[in-house]
Amino acid sequence: MAPKMPWPTYLLDRVGLPDSHKLEVYRQHGGYAALEDVLRKPWKPEEVTAVVKDSGLRGRGGAGFSTGLKWTFMPDPAKDGRRRYLAINADESEPGTCKDRVLMEKDPHGLLEGCLISAYAIRAEAVYIYVRGEYRKSLAVLQAAIDEARAAGLVGKGILGTSFDCEIWMHMGAGAYICGEETGLMESLEGKRGHPRPKPPFPAGYGLWGQPTTVNNVESIFNVPFIVQRGAEWFRSIGTKGSTGNFLCGISGHVERPGVYEVPMGISARQIVEELAGGVWKGRKLKAWFPGGSSTGMLPAAAIDTPMDHDSIKNAGSMLGTGAMIVIDETVSLVEAEYVIARFYEHESCGQCSQCREGTQWLDQILHRIARGHGRVDDPALLESLARGMAPAKTICALSDAAAIPTLALVKNFAAEVQEHATTGRLPAGCVSILAAQDLQEAHA
Amino acid sequence: MTTPESTGKPTVKIQLNGSEVEADPSQPLIRACHDHGVDVPMYCYHPGLHPVGSCRICQVEVKQGEAPPRVVAACRTSVAPGMVVDTESPKAHETRRECLEFLLKNHPLDCPICDKAGECDLQDYAFQEGQGEGRSSEPRRKLHKRRSLGDVIVLDEERCILCSRCVRFFEDVTGTAQLAVTGLGARSVIDTFMGRPLTGNYQGNVADICPVGALTLKRFRFQARVWNLTKTVSHCAECSRGCAITVEVLRRKQVKRFRPRFDPNVNQYWMCDTGRFAFDHVEIPACEPGELTGGRLTDAVQRGAHGVAGQGVAGSGVGARGLEAVDVDRALGRAADALTGAAARAIVLSPFVTQEEAGAALELARTLGAEVCFVSPPPNGLQDDLLHTGDPCPNRKGLETLGVPGLGADDVRARLAKAGVAVLVGERVQELIGLERLAALTGGVRLIVLDLVAHDLPGLEVALGVPCHVEKQGHWLNVDGLRRDLAIARSAPAGVEPLTRLLGQLAGAVGRPAGATAEVRR
Repeated sequence: MAPKMPWPTYLLDRVGLPDSHKLEVYRQHGGYAALEDVLRKPWKPEEVTAVVKDSGLRGRGGAGFSTGLKWTFMPDPAKDGRRRYLAINADESEPGTCKDRVLMEKDPHGLLEGCLISAYAIRAEAVYIYVRGEYRKSLAVLQAAIDEARAAGLVGKGILGTSFDCEIWMHMGAGAYICGEETGLMESLEGKRGHPRPKPPFPAGYGLWGQPTTVNNVESIFNVPFIVQRGAEWFRSIGTKGSTGNFLCGISGHVERPGVYEVPMGISARQIVEELAGGVWKGRKLKAWFPGGSSTGMLPAAAIDTPMDHDSIKNAGSMLGTGAMIVIDETVSLVEAEYVIARFYEHESCGQCSQCREGTQWLDQILHRIARGHGRVDDPALLESLARGMAPAKTICALSDAAAIPTLALVKNFAAEVQEHATTGRLPAGCVSILAAQDLQEAHA
Repeated sequence: MTTPESTGKPTVKIQLNGSEVEADPSQPLIRACHDHGVDVPMYCYHPGLHPVGSCRICQVEVKQGEAPPRVVAACRTSVAPGMVVDTESPKAHETRRECLEFLLKNHPLDCPICDKAGECDLQDYAFQEGQGEGRSSEPRRKLHKRRSLGDVIVLDEERCILCSRCVRFFEDVTGTAQLAVTGLGARSVIDTFMGRPLTGNYQGNVADICPVGALTLKRFRFQARVWNLTKTVSHCAECSRGCAITVEVLRRKQVKRFRPRFDPNVNQYWMCDTGRFAFDHVEIPACEPGELTGGRLTDAVQRGAHGVAGQGVAGSGVGARGLEAVDVDRALGRAADALTGAAARAIVLSPFVTQEEAGAALELARTLGAEVCFVSPPPNGLQDDLLHTGDPCPNRKGLETLGVPGLGADDVRARLAKAGVAVLVGERVQELIGLERLAALTGGVRLIVLDLVAHDLPGLEVALGVPCHVEKQGHWLNVDGLRRDLAIARSAPAGVEPLTRLLGQLAGAVGRPAGATAEVRR
C-alpha cells in the first residue's frame, strides 16, 4: 500500500489495492470510465489531443516534450491515408529509473486505457508496447491484462460496441539501453538492430514500417485518462506553470527508504530526500545527487533545495529527465561514481556515430585510470574537452549527450575533487573505494 | 539501373560559402557542396549508397530562416531554398576536428604497411587537418588484423572505422546483404553472417569504397604502393557492358589493378570481379628462353623454310618445331606472298578488335576480296542482373554495326577449312576459335595469325604480335551501342606494332604485283 501523501495523488492510488492488476478491481475504481466517455459521447479525436495539449503534460520519458503537441505532428488523415501506430516506450533502462515498472505490474489496465484513448486521439490502428527485456513480470502482467481486456471487448474490433478498432501488441526487448531511444525502439520493433535513425524524418512522418507513428512513455500515457476525465484545468492546477501534474520520482542510492513516490512537479528535492525517502542513510551527509537518472548531470548538495520541475532543474544546470533521483553520500568518490556511469554508456553505445562509439570508450578509460590512481594533471581538462566533442546534438541520437552530460557536470560541479584525485592518485578524504569493494567481491566469487 | 545524376532536374538557390549556387533539392547537401567544388570530407556517405549519417565527419554549418545556425551532417540534410551553408565556419571546423580525433583514437596508424596509404580518406583528412599529435594515451583496440572474408577480401578489424559502406553495398547494390555490423559500441566489428565467406561476383567493390584500409583485395595486398601506380582512363574488356575503369600500372610495366570509374549510364561506381581480376591476357609472360610459342609474342615468327610442324632441323637455324623468329617486315612480306598466291581467302576477327582495327581489316578484305567474320563465343554463364552481360565480346555491337557477322567457333572452322589462306586478327582470336579446332584443320589452309601468343599450329604460316587492350587506342561499342574508348595504359612490348598499322601494311603489300612484296616499306 502506497503511503498517504500530504498532497492530492492519482497515479499510484490503485497500486496498493489487492489484485490491482485485475480488470474487475480496475473497474470498481472507476477504470475505463474515461474511455467510455470518449467513445460514447463521442469526443472527436482532435478534442482529446486538444485537452492533453492544453493540460501542459510533458513527456515523462526524459526529454520532457509536450505530449499533446507531439500528437499534433501526426499527419492529417484526410491527406495521408497511411496506417498509423502508437508505440509505448516501456524500455525503462535509464539507470536509477524504476517508475514505469510499478505502473505496468500493479496497474496495467491504467496503461491500457491510456493507450486506447491516445490511439483514438491520433487515430492509430494498433498500439505496440515495447517492454524492456529484463521486465519479464511487466510483460506477463500486461499480456494477461490485454487478454482480459480483449475478452471484455475493450481491445480489438468494435471496442465497447462502438466503431473504434484498436489492437494492442506486446513486444519484448532484449536488454539494450539504446532501444529506449524512440527510433532505436522502432528499428528493434521491426526486427532489426536497435540502431537509431537519423532525424528527420521524424516518427510522425516516417515511423514504424515507414508509417506515421507516435512514441510515448508509459507514465505519459498513464496520465491521459485522468486528464480526459478531470480536465486540463485540473491538471494544470498541480505543479508549476511550465511543468504540470504529478510525476513519479524513483529515488535510489544512499537514502533510508528508496522507492517510487508520487510527487507534484515543483516539489523541492530536499523534501523528497528528507521527508519521503527518510534522509541520507546512516546519518551521513549528502554529497551529490542526480535529479533524473544517470544521464542528467550530478548536482552538488548545495542545490538540494532546487524545485523538481523541468525549468528549475534546467536552471540549476541539469535535467529533470525521468525524475529518477540518485543520492550519493559523503563516502563516495565521485570519480568512481562517474566511472561506473561512463562504463554503462561505453557498454550501451550502439556504435554508429564516431563521437559516441569512441568517446564513450575514451571517457571510460580516462575515468578508470583516475579511479585506479593513475590519473594525470591534465585529465580533467581532457575529459571536459572530449565531452564537449560528443555533445550537444552532434550525433544521430542523444546517447552521446547522455554520456557527455554527467562527465561535464562532474568536472564543472566537482572540479576540485576531480583535479585532486587525478593529480594525487588518492581517493578524497573519508571516501571508501567502491572499485576496491568490487575487486574484493570478484576475488571471492 | 537508375542514374543518380541530377541533370535536368529543378534546382533551388542556396548560399554556399558566400556565393549563390544552384542545388538539386532531391539530393543531400553534401552533393551540392561536391558539385560546386567545395570539399566536405566523408566516410560513411557514398553517392551510390543510401546515406546513414553515422560517421559525422561531414558536419557543416547551416542557417535556415530565422533560427540560429546549426552544425549538421551534410549527408543527412536536404537542400532547401535559401539555406545558408558555411563549410568552413570555426564551429563546423571544430566539430569535424573533434570527430576526426575520435576516429583516430583507436585507429592503428599502421599507414607504413597499409595498402590504402596514399588513397586513404582518413589519412588524407588527418593530414589536411594537421593535428600532428593525438591526445589519447589509452591502449588502442586489439582486434583481428587479417580476417579472410572469402576468396577476394581480407578484413583488418583494427583499421575499420565502421562507416558501414560495405554493409550497405551488399544491401543496396547486389541485394544480398552479406555483411553486417556485429557487436555493440566500441566492440563493433564488420562480419559476415555466421562467419560464412562472401560470395558473388561483386565483392571487390567493397575494397574500393572502404574509406580506410580495412577491406583490401587479397590479389592487391602488398603488391604496390598506390603512388607508384599510373592510372589511365579506359574500359573493361571482359564483357559487352564495357564498364568504365581505370587501368593502374606499376612502373610502366605491370597492370596491378582494374578499378571502376563512375559512369552514370553504364556501371555507376561498380564493376564485377571477373573484370577486376582479368589480368590473364594483359600479363602474359614472355616465352621461355629458346622458345617461340607459349608466351607473349613480340616481333613475329614464321614457319621455317625447311621445317615442318613438330620437326626441327638441327643446325639450320630453324626453331626446334619448325618455327623461326623473323622481323616484322619479313613476316609481313611472307604473309603478303601467301595471300597473293591463294585462291580462297578468309579473315576472322577477334571480338576484341576496336572499330579502328576492324576498319583496317575491312580495307584488307576489300583488297583481297576476302570474306570477313568475327568469332562469336557462346555466353559464358556469368550473366547477372547488375552489370555482367555474359557475352565475352566487348565489341560485338561495334562489329555488327560495321556489318561483320559473328560466327560460332564451329562455323569459323568450317569457313577456314574451305579457305586457302586465312588471316586471324586480334587478341585471343586463336583461343576463341579453339586451339584444337585450329590444329585439326584439314584442307591445307595456311594461317596468318595476328595475336598475343603464337601457337605451333600445323597450318601456321606467319604469326605477328599485337598489342593487348591496355596497350592500344581505339573504341568499342558496348551492348547498348555506347562508345567505349580505350587508352594506352602501358606501351606494348618492343617490336609489337599497332594492329591498324600491321593490317594497313599488309593491305598495301598485297596490292602490289607478285614478287615485289618481299620488302615492305614502312
